[in-house]
Amino acid sequence: MDLVSRRRAGDAAIWLLLVSAPYWLTHVGGYVELGTRVLILALAAMALNFLLGFTGVLSFGHAAYFGLGAYGVAMTIKYLIASTPLAILVGVAAGTAAAAVVGPLIARLRGVYFAMCTIAFGQVFYYIAFQWRSVTRGDDGLTAWHRMPLDFGFAELDILNNNKAFYYMVLVVFAAAVAAMAFLLRSPFGRTLLAIRENERRARFLGIPVDRHIWLSWVISCFFVSIAGALYALMNDFVDPRALRWDQSGNFVIMAVLGGMRSFWGPLIGAAIFLVLEDYISSHTDNWMSFVGLFFVLVVLFFPRGILGIIGRRAVS
Amino acid sequence: MVQLILFNVLNGLIIGAFYALMALGLSLILNLSGVINFAHGGFLAIGAYLAYTLIPYVGFWGALLAAPFLTAFIGILVERVLIRRLYGRDPLYSLLLTFGLAFMIEDGTRFIWGADSLPYQIPGWLQNTLSSQLFFLTGYRVFMVVLVAVAVLGLFLILTRTRLGLRIRAGTLDLETLSVLGVNVRILRNLNFGLGIYMAGLAGVLAAGMLGLQPTIGDSLIMPSFVAIIVGGLGSLPGTLVGGLLIGVASGVTTVFLPSASEAVMYVLMAVVLLIRPRGLLGEEGRF
Amino acid sequence: MSLLRIENVSRHFGNLVAVDDVSMIVEPGELRAVIGPNGAGKTTFFNLITGFLIPTSGRIVFDGSDITKMLPARRVWRGIARTFQITEVFPELTLHENLRIAVEVAAGYRLKAWLSRDANGEVKARVTDLLEIGGLGEKADRMVGELSHGDQRATEIMMALALNPKLLLLDEPTAGMGDQETYDITQLIRKLHHDKKLTIVLIEHDMRVVFHLADRIMVLTEGAMLAEGTPKEIAANEAVQAAYLGKVA
Repeated sequence: MDLVSRRRAGDAAIWLLLVSAPYWLTHVGGYVELGTRVLILALAAMALNFLLGFTGVLSFGHAAYFGLGAYGVAMTIKYLIASTPLAILVGVAAGTAAAAVVGPLIARLRGVYFAMCTIAFGQVFYYIAFQWRSVTRGDDGLTAWHRMPLDFGFAELDILNNNKAFYYMVLVVFAAAVAAMAFLLRSPFGRTLLAIRENERRARFLGIPVDRHIWLSWVISCFFVSIAGALYALMNDFVDPRALRWDQSGNFVIMAVLGGMRSFWGPLIGAAIFLVLEDYISSHTDNWMSFVGLFFVLVVLFFPRGILGIIGRRAVS
Repeated sequence: MVQLILFNVLNGLIIGAFYALMALGLSLILNLSGVINFAHGGFLAIGAYLAYTLIPYVGFWGALLAAPFLTAFIGILVERVLIRRLYGRDPLYSLLLTFGLAFMIEDGTRFIWGADSLPYQIPGWLQNTLSSQLFFLTGYRVFMVVLVAVAVLGLFLILTRTRLGLRIRAGTLDLETLSVLGVNVRILRNLNFGLGIYMAGLAGVLAAGMLGLQPTIGDSLIMPSFVAIIVGGLGSLPGTLVGGLLIGVASGVTTVFLPSASEAVMYVLMAVVLLIRPRGLLGEEGRF
Repeated sequence: MSLLRIENVSRHFGNLVAVDDVSMIVEPGELRAVIGPNGAGKTTFFNLITGFLIPTSGRIVFDGSDITKMLPARRVWRGIARTFQITEVFPELTLHENLRIAVEVAAGYRLKAWLSRDANGEVKARVTDLLEIGGLGEKADRMVGELSHGDQRATEIMMALALNPKLLLLDEPTAGMGDQETYDITQLIRKLHHDKKLTIVLIEHDMRVVFHLADRIMVLTEGAMLAEGTPKEIAANEAVQAAYLGKVA
């Protein structure tokens, strides 16, 4: 099988697994909510990977925009209008706007310095969520709200009480987002990002305004991560500052690295493994934090190219 | 009013000195090895907890002397076993590694010493205030500032007067040339890391007396260290020192006018610096 | 009108004078070689033309416009393309992708999320065209990082060509190459010069290449121009021989 058909077969297999997940998950010791969580965090990790794996730029502060998506949803439903679609829109707008503002401040930076600044800016939003008690309820988080059923006019989808329905809603959003990301990466614009990753100097000397393209990639990446954040809030019917914290950012990165940064689906695999492990470990011991930390260390030392990186390198055309 | 501002500026300088101590250690490691040591706060905690453990045996002064060295020793081991493997690679990996270490250290300290705050004994005579006017100036705070000043001075002397220091400074500029000249770069990086961790450990011993001792003690100090480096300038130790003090003072001044924003002001400073002078106040061009 | 006028350009780095009051005029269609011992300032000179560095004094006029202080990306858009001493390509992408990116950017598609079928066709046709000129056809699907040094250099030159440049700057194109590869690259450059009528300025150490290709030669030593003229004149110039004493191609 040549490269293209191999890839198509892989894509088909993945979609098949995802669409049928609620039905086979319980048979392997899982549960639907776990599947939903994997989808949402996989989306976040894939969004991060748009920037990390495909543009070659490391952000360790993506949780900020994830969290803004989440808070946008919670605050909309709780304080404004109890509508799920509207809430998602607000959350995404908030996350993306914040990213658009932070972007110019850091687009001129590179490498370690860029990463440091993303961490610092990430912390800014965590701090706001923590301190602005009157609006965000600080450390207690926003409770006493929940995701609203989707009203399509002719029918209503009860995503609140029906876990499977919610899973499929998330899957639809996931599919749309992922398709959009793939589309962008395969476009001429997407190829300029690959160029920047491969050789920034050469990209510059082809006439690509590198800083501007990095900014664009940053905003796009944060746009998708805020969608994931919005879904995250809906899933938990709750949001607190932890969604914005540096450890959340680190989780996204490790998922991308574990699954394979250079592959499109890598972060999905990484998210699945990470969440299953975390689920298992936290139910068996209080010291799951040490294990997560150890996990990070082991992945870095022994799996730097990630699982899909080991299986085979694929060029994105 | 002026007195109030003065109070807070002085207070801010004290805190700023603290931030500077942390940030300098972080900066040393970053400049020479290109590693963002996310676990710096963890080493601070280790320093504090080690001191706590040692105080019953060697008293406060003994712990003050020993704990930072022990912490540095642990740091040297960590560098040797883990971090060293990542030098040639993308900075992503060392960041992830130190990130994982930070988790492990925090959970580890929680496991060994418990999650609750522990009583931390500093010598009684240090706890008294120095004068009724400057009521916030407890002996301990003054002592801390003096110690930080001594540490910074010590660092300065090491960097300018010793061979190790000279090599560190040269290595920060051009590590490759240095290795070609026959300097053992591995040992240099190792010792440099140890030096940076020493400062974190020392900061820990001191911080516990002021902030109280619990596993998350490092968390509140690591962010200001980052910001101090960004504001002061990447690649510049004097810049980091200035950055730390500046943040502290800015925080102090803000407390007078808008107490709730005192922590936020350092982020505002950071944003302003990035906008106007991305390399930082004293940073060198081309460092990134 | 001359294509490139470099007027009394100097570049200082503190006390170090890397380029010292150099002037050069290049006519359209010319192939100019810049030679000189190592450290003569040739690459710095290139960096001034491409905008990587700004002159401390002097003026650079390209195609009628003063570009002395212009940003590199803008100079590329004006028609200056360059290759580097150490080949700069996209190693983990295929040769096809490398060229495609260059073609798309040159066509103004760098922000496009989608191309029409026609546009796509045009891009593919141009890439095929470039592959043919460079003699790289069969290697199109291989990862550039895995190609031979000579092929990587040819790829880089083709990427520069994709930009439809008015001026092509080649920094030591045959550096580190054996005889066969040197020959191939020289033929390629010649093709670009004669068939495509490109204006080319190249830095070279290999005198066979220089004398084979150049219309005019400029000799730099220690940042300053030592001599300038046709290959014949330069070969006969005693000062040049002295500067190169012991340096055989």
